Amino acid sequence: MLWRLVRRSMRERRAHVALTLLAVAVTAALATALLGVTFAIRERMARELRAFGANILIVPRSAPLAVTVGSLRYVPSQEEAYLEESELARLKTIFWRHNIVAFAPFLSRTVEVAGQRALLVGTWFDKRVDVPVPSRRFSFASGASREVAAVEGGWNTGLEALVPSWQVDGRWVREGSGGALVGRALAARLAIEPGQTLEVELEGRRARFPVHGLLRTGGVEEDQIFVELAAAQALFGRPGRVEKVQVSALVTPDNALAVRARTVGPESLPPSEYETWYCTPYLDSIVFQIEEALTGARGTAIRQVAEAEQAFLGKVTGVFVLSSALGLATAGLGVAATTARAIFERRAEVGLMKALGGDRRQIARLLLVEAGVTGLGGGIVGALLGVALTRVIGLWVFATPIESHVLLLLAILGVAPGVALLGALGPLRAALAVPAATTLSAE
Amino acid sequence: MTLIVVRDLTKEYDGRKLRALDRVSLDVASGEWLALMGPSGSGKTTLLNLIAGLDTPTSGTVVVDGAPVHALDEAERARFRRDTVGVVFQHFHLIPYLTAVENVMLAQYFHSLADEAEAADALVRVGLGDRLHHRPPELSGGEQQRVAIARALINQPKLVVADEPTGNLDADNEAVVLETFQKLHAQGHTILLVTHDPRVGALADRRISLDHGRIMSAGLEMDFDNARWKRGERQS
Repeated sequence: MLWRLVRRSMRERRAHVALTLLAVAVTAALATALLGVTFAIRERMARELRAFGANILIVPRSAPLAVTVGSLRYVPSQEEAYLEESELARLKTIFWRHNIVAFAPFLSRTVEVAGQRALLVGTWFDKRVDVPVPSRRFSFASGASREVAAVEGGWNTGLEALVPSWQVDGRWVREGSGGALVGRALAARLAIEPGQTLEVELEGRRARFPVHGLLRTGGVEEDQIFVELAAAQALFGRPGRVEKVQVSALVTPDNALAVRARTVGPESLPPSEYETWYCTPYLDSIVFQIEEALTGARGTAIRQVAEAEQAFLGKVTGVFVLSSALGLATAGLGVAATTARAIFERRAEVGLMKALGGDRRQIARLLLVEAGVTGLGGGIVGALLGVALTRVIGLWVFATPIESHVLLLLAILGVAPGVALLGALGPLRAALAVPAATTLSAE
Repeated sequence: MTLIVVRDLTKEYDGRKLRALDRVSLDVASGEWLALMGPSGSGKTTLLNLIAGLDTPTSGTVVVDGAPVHALDEAERARFRRDTVGVVFQHFHLIPYLTAVENVMLAQYFHSLADEAEAADALVRVGLGDRLHHRPPELSGGEQQRVAIARALINQPKLVVADEPTGNLDADNEAVVLETFQKLHAQGHTILLVTHDPRVGALADRRISLDHGRIMSAGLEMDFDNARWKRGERQS
């Protein structure tokens, strides 16, 4: 009988039901889209910010005492220390392997070029790295273990992926082409342009590089020459060696645990906290995992960059959460007002039900089921609209669609009837409080 | 056997500024048909509402079938209404989007379980066997009131209260509805009926006249010959 009554009532008052359903649907769509974008924006913005360079620097544990003068760098040969190029693929085997956005190795020396001295930097431009990494299980002293999904096939990384914000007049160097990028300032001094050939000399060894492009970075790189790592290694007589690696990784802002781990050292944390710290993409935990993966490596967080990014992301997310909350509160009030009005207009019906012997529980169940069904219907329609809206916002802002999280959709489907019920509760309580005689005599 | 005992019943509205009922006392026997009469604003509907548990008194007591209605809390009053009282209103108060049979089933639903066959039987008994699935707007006033009567009786209440049940009906429908009440009375139902119409009041076993919230006269002596109604004849 309950559902028969609800069905009849909703059919009779279909205009009201449609209005309430619309209000709930709009609220649910807004909630799905705003919260979906809020959840996604942090990751997307973080990826966008990663375009401005590395946030982790890896050097040999026994780092050489290098002297830097302007864009030039001098290393006494007895102080030299290197990382093995062949080990770099291991960066994609760490726990947070999927957060490593890009990395590039570097090997540099000051060379003579057309009578001037300049820093020649060997690096990867767009190197194909084979990472046949199967899924890997990480076990912890706390007894827990976590599996990280496999990285299939190969992966391209290098300067182009690490600092896509750098601009090249001409074209980027392709791996195996033997070409070079010359900093714009240096190129101006040497009066060299793309298409010409650059001849460099180091300790009697000579090498020639066709210039593919001029580099504009706004930094010291505009006084440097970038060539393929293998060519630099051959010129410097250091095959298979790199002096540093810059890594761009997606990280999460530090919290109290991250600060404590940095203060006391991660090994001093209790096992459960260590596991949490290890399995959270803090800057320090990723650095820690990189040091585990590479022999004789010391990772350094470029904290200034990371902290600036995190502060910015925190503010952006905060603004988004605040505006989402305000939007949802406004829409929620609209739903509550619509539901409240529907109940208010049925107060005579409530009075009659009381006169017929209906108690508060029975009458409330009838009206609340109706509000709940309307809310659920609106929630379903709104969630579907919200999924589409989220994709549109993703395409508009980030040029890729944002997928709505299933848990978010389930939450919306739970909350939408709740908002409708919340709106109904106040006026229902008021209607039930009035004696049946008063309500009926007023009609 | 006395079904209703009312003692010093008082109802005041608007912070005691308006006294609708002033220390009213009366008894109603089981199976009796009592007419509450008087001009508009005399307090007859207020008295009926208080006896039926639709409102709460300011002071005084109402005991119906042993239940102290004046002292019941809200949940107990709801239980009292659904178990003991059937209510018929002047304006019918049917739910417009439910059919005749569903309006009757609503009272069953609040009482225990809705039984469509039983609800249909109740409508057949008031002559609406061919109107089961009509909605109130598709029924005449008399038919709507008979649906309301069927609804009032469906849970077999000990007391039927009716507030001006013919007040909104034309003469033909009034006669049909009053005949229904006469049948109920003949079956032994206790009826408390509010009317300001002496011809309707004349059908009752006893009439009480109220004015300004007080009982002005009580008993069988009324200045109207009800012999023709008692015989079941129509009043022209």
